[in-house]
Amino acid sequence: MPDRRETLTWLLRALALSAAPAVHIDSASASQGCAAAPAKPDRIGAAWRGDRGYGRDPDLLHPQVTWALTLAAQQKTAIASLADVFLPEDGSSPCASAVGVPDFIDEWVSAPYPQQQQDRVVVLEGLAALECDANAPLHTFDATQAQSLVARLHARAAEGGQPEARFFGRFRQLCLIGYYTSPVGVAELGYVGYQPSARFEGPPPEVLAKLGI
Amino acid sequence: MATEPFDVIIVGSGAAGATAAYVLTSLGARVCLLEAGRYYDPGRETPMFQRHGAAPLADAGTPDKPFGFYDGTVDGGWILPEEPYATAPGTEFRWFRARMLGGRTNHWGRVALRYANHDFKAYSLDGLGADWPFTYDEFAPWYDRAERMVGVFGTNEHLPDIPDSPPGCLQPPPVPRSYERLVIAGGHRLGRPVVASHEAVITQPLNGRLACFYASPCLRGCAIRANFQSPTVMLPPARASGRLTTITHAQVYEVDLAPDGSARGVHYVDRLTHRHHYLAGRAVMLGASAMESVRILFNSRSARFPDGIGAESGLLGRGVLDTPGSNVWGQFPQMEGLPPFNDDGVVSLPHIFIPWWLWPAQRAGRLPFARGYHIELYGGRTEPSAYTFDQFDVVSPLTYGKRLKEEARRYYGSFVRFSQRGEMIMRDSNRVVIDPQMKDAWGVPGLCFDVRWSEQELRQTAHAQLSMAEFIEASGGKLITPLPGNPAQAITPPGRMIHEVGGARAGSDPKKSVTDSHGRVWGVPNLYVIDGAVFPSSANKNPTLTIIAFAWRASEHLRKYLRKELRHA
Repeated sequence: MPDRRETLTWLLRALALSAAPAVHIDSASASQGCAAAPAKPDRIGAAWRGDRGYGRDPDLLHPQVTWALTLAAQQKTAIASLADVFLPEDGSSPCASAVGVPDFIDEWVSAPYPQQQQDRVVVLEGLAALECDANAPLHTFDATQAQSLVARLHARAAEGGQPEARFFGRFRQLCLIGYYTSPVGVAELGYVGYQPSARFEGPPPEVLAKLGI
Repeated sequence: MATEPFDVIIVGSGAAGATAAYVLTSLGARVCLLEAGRYYDPGRETPMFQRHGAAPLADAGTPDKPFGFYDGTVDGGWILPEEPYATAPGTEFRWFRARMLGGRTNHWGRVALRYANHDFKAYSLDGLGADWPFTYDEFAPWYDRAERMVGVFGTNEHLPDIPDSPPGCLQPPPVPRSYERLVIAGGHRLGRPVVASHEAVITQPLNGRLACFYASPCLRGCAIRANFQSPTVMLPPARASGRLTTITHAQVYEVDLAPDGSARGVHYVDRLTHRHHYLAGRAVMLGASAMESVRILFNSRSARFPDGIGAESGLLGRGVLDTPGSNVWGQFPQMEGLPPFNDDGVVSLPHIFIPWWLWPAQRAGRLPFARGYHIELYGGRTEPSAYTFDQFDVVSPLTYGKRLKEEARRYYGSFVRFSQRGEMIMRDSNRVVIDPQMKDAWGVPGLCFDVRWSEQELRQTAHAQLSMAEFIEASGGKLITPLPGNPAQAITPPGRMIHEVGGARAGSDPKKSVTDSHGRVWGVPNLYVIDGAVFPSSANKNPTLTIIAFAWRASEHLRKYLRKELRHA
């Protein structure tokens, strides 16, 4: 089990971070009941005001990130060193920071939407807790230190530490999305497509053989 | 361009309204089409070939664009702050809207299945819900017209639940993808049919449209017009007739009746200027989407109809339906580590599906639920997206480092989602009413939903979950979704499938329905409801093809009504 003191530290840090930019939530400003419904109905449409995102009708041919990126340079450095532990250079493809994963995570956690704002709290909480645990600023860590930090995080998550598992899970997921939707990542997975052709030929014979069909 | 008074005012430019505009202009009527959203041109606006990674948030869904940045729906979504609605306490209803030319035909799964005769006459067979006011044979000619115009690929399989189409209606389907072939083999082992899906995508040129070139996701729309969207298929010929006037940003809120009780025009508000307008016409067709058409009827109050047009029977707003759905994920070890190959096909749409195979057993009373479901499959080696790694916490928990990269390469493309798409039993207790407090930004009263699943849908879902697990196993896959003991935890919330229909059902008895068999509101000879609102039941077949066929049939009926007045007929 995780050490009590450490878990407590993690939670205290989380509280300190609750001042992070939050999405507008207009909670349940219910109306006075609809004509034939028995009691107060729930109002749908109040929770998201849509005033800070890319809007419902953005220019799809010229995608733009419309929100300010909010991570400080030191936070991005810290994210880069952790992301490179999650997705290192391995002879087949480069490490996470080489394909822009820290920029992607900055774009994600700076976005005004509810899911991204939730992830923002998880990521910033996690970074703060890791820093507290290491008792040193994360952005000063070298690769070996980052490696052992993630190893400790992994051990605690594996032992059932909830905040650790949540951070590990979300941070890993954001690394995977950022990495494998990049041109390098798409090629690395072997996705072949976006090739206009008069016919769809279906899987080639060697694939069918492997599938046992 | 025609001028007032128009022969026909059509409200809404989606599947129903665009069909009516096409049919009526081709028959010589002068039509004014009112669309609440903006003009939209898929030829110029569709992000063909843009990669997920180039979009904000890697194209992940947001409240602004629920199906991703590049999705074909613009100015729509689940939550529209200017257009609130309410749900009764303890209930949930998801209501997806698309304020744009073509409405929700722009984002559509494009599954285009015919109802069978037992779908139209289900009440006669099991006593639940209500019958449609016609048989399959009576309605089939309009399915034929719809399939020939829309362009649908598929095959005739002589199955009890899926009627065959006459020659010349269906186009050849694409061959199955890799994972689809595993499921076909699995179905063979189980003795269950797995057949070509019917999808509104053309694989051969049709009416000047190019065939699918198997690249770029259909749900973004199609700049080459290979899939069906009303702005690329129905509206160009309607426009070319010279008899179509289209007004965008026009949100209709009331049908105006003459002293003799016939419809003579509509009131609408311009969503940009907030100005109110009146438009006169000899007939009115409502294709605003099922719930919006019901809302317009409710809000059309007069001395003759104090509770709204069509409310006399007490059935207006009643019998709201959606499709019960649930998902199960399989992981297929055979798909791991395959050499790179192009498995895109008709991108984002299934080539095959599992039709409801137990209809005979159900008919014989051997199942604990009255209506069936079909199963759709999605997955395989699609372009890596924000959702590619959704299952990683299950199959590869807590891995990181070089191992994680190995696992990413190993598991990529090996997941398949099985999705139940079922029939809900129509019940009058599932309804919408007007909530006078719930006004939209233009001051028009909105809707309050009270829609609940019953034991029928829950038992069906429990059955579907097990069936989908059996399919995964028989196909050589591993079930990676724990099946919940309680189907209420698996079933989608009402509305989530975006198949909401009903509320102004068609019938043959004015006391038991809101419209006649052509969608004509009882008591108002020239007011038609032509969208999903008229559905007395909603089979396990996605509603759009049936909406198109119904609107087509209603339009031909209206043309007879107008015959004397039409100059070009």
